[in-house]
Amino acid sequence: MRFRPGKIALIATVVVSYLFLYLPIVHIGLASLSRNSSFPYPPHWSFATMSRLLGNSLYQTALGNSLLLGVLVATLSTALAGAATIGLMRHAGRKTTLFLALFIAPLFVAEVLLGISSLIFSGLFLGLQGNLGSAVLANVVHCFSYALLIMATQLYRYDWRLDDAAMVFGATPARTFFEVTLPLIWPGLLGAFIVTFIMAFNNLEISFYLLGATPTLPSVAWGALRYGVKPELYALATCVNLVVLCVLAVMFVLMRTGLATFGHRPERERAAV
Amino acid sequence: MRSRLAPWLTLGVPTVFLIALFVLPLLSMLVLSVWRTENYHIVQDWNLRNYWVLATDGAYATFLLRSIAMATAVSVICTAIAWPVAYGITLYGGRYKLLLTLGFAVPFLTGEVLRVIALQGLLGPVGLVNGVLMSLGAAPLRAIMYTNVASAIGLVYLYLPIVVTVIYLSLLNFDQRLLDAAKIFGASPARAFFEIAWPLNLFGTLIGFALCFIPCLSATLAPRFLGGPNGTLYGMAMAQQFGESGTWALGAAMGVVLFVLSIAAVFVAFRTVDLRRTGFTGFGRS
Repeated sequence: MRFRPGKIALIATVVVSYLFLYLPIVHIGLASLSRNSSFPYPPHWSFATMSRLLGNSLYQTALGNSLLLGVLVATLSTALAGAATIGLMRHAGRKTTLFLALFIAPLFVAEVLLGISSLIFSGLFLGLQGNLGSAVLANVVHCFSYALLIMATQLYRYDWRLDDAAMVFGATPARTFFEVTLPLIWPGLLGAFIVTFIMAFNNLEISFYLLGATPTLPSVAWGALRYGVKPELYALATCVNLVVLCVLAVMFVLMRTGLATFGHRPERERAAV
Repeated sequence: MRSRLAPWLTLGVPTVFLIALFVLPLLSMLVLSVWRTENYHIVQDWNLRNYWVLATDGAYATFLLRSIAMATAVSVICTAIAWPVAYGITLYGGRYKLLLTLGFAVPFLTGEVLRVIALQGLLGPVGLVNGVLMSLGAAPLRAIMYTNVASAIGLVYLYLPIVVTVIYLSLLNFDQRLLDAAKIFGASPARAFFEIAWPLNLFGTLIGFALCFIPCLSATLAPRFLGGPNGTLYGMAMAQQFGESGTWALGAAMGVVLFVLSIAAVFVAFRTVDLRRTGFTGFGRS
């Protein structure tokens, strides 16, 4: 076999980047599960930190709020982005670029600016107290754009002639949507739902300014971080990392085994030309 | 006859939503920036004093220049790392391409606070790097503790995943056979890269660059917990106007400055390339 320096350099970069990304995560994972938490090599296993974290009632309330925030944001932004994607592909016509520019504009505005401007608008101009509802709405703005991008990459191969066929045979638009479109596009919707849920669950920079006195997991972690890093924070980060990893692993297995194809249908690629 | 309800539902509702909760807040920030705050109260008189303060007070100019330098450096480093990674995954990833890319997305999704905590574990005074150095008997590395270098490493760590993902998506829609064709006609791998892969993926690269540059420009968390006394960045100073010091109007003016700068950066970046030459065909249609 021929020696190829280019190939080796590329693969080495991939490996080094992976190490860079995962080394801190693995490190704090080990730190949270061992008694010698600052330098756990070799680790002396202990679940003391984990059980302290799970027994803390502030973290429990925060977890509940974060879950609620995540579910609400994910539902709203997936529904809105689904509608927007279909609208862009089917109904926008020559105005596609205009609508697309508006819909993805939140991507190009930093999260902290979204948070601050929403705070000014709702807190100062409308005189509303910050609560979970205002945090949900502000997060939806940001997550909507991500959901739109995810769905757009999945749905642009969708064959709209299936909808036309249903209409020709007399189905109403609503019935076409629920019996033809939705069963075919649900994997894209699910992917967007999962990603936006995780993003909203972990968001600090938008939620922080709008939550008022409601604690969520990131805001509690931020508050604790100001007084120095404690092993509980390592444990918290490890738990969230593990859950996210598991969700994405399940998603990957579903895609591999073909239970859910997430919008990619090779046979349709040929048919749609 | 086509119903007029569907276009209104699918395009009108998201448009109304975004105007109400995205455009109006940004406009209200603009309005607030020309008012002023006195003893934690908003005084409504229209003048540009906040901008005058920002322009003449040396500290804010320093923060801004430092932020721009930091964001530029971090975005360039991220792009320089992300390209070989994404290119390597597409060329040699085989059937594990998707898994490898998802692996990059996992840390990105776990949120900034938790990742700053992880970074503290890596770079902090009792973190991994210094722990290894000290257990080897060496002195702890001062350059990475509470300095701008630590902030930069932190920001690269935070935004590398999104740049990799964007460039990978761009490469996914790029026809690999063009590279094979170039090689058959005798181009070296380097030449095939610079004359085909790079120009045809410039659009994706720019989006990745922008999605790294904009959050870096207004970074608040990483510099606060990783940067030292000389590490204050503009976004962090802005966040303080809304927290500790309570001068909302000045903070709003800083927000406007950041917003204008971000938009200008995107505009300049996309003006310098000819989109049609980069193979950009619009939104999935020609």
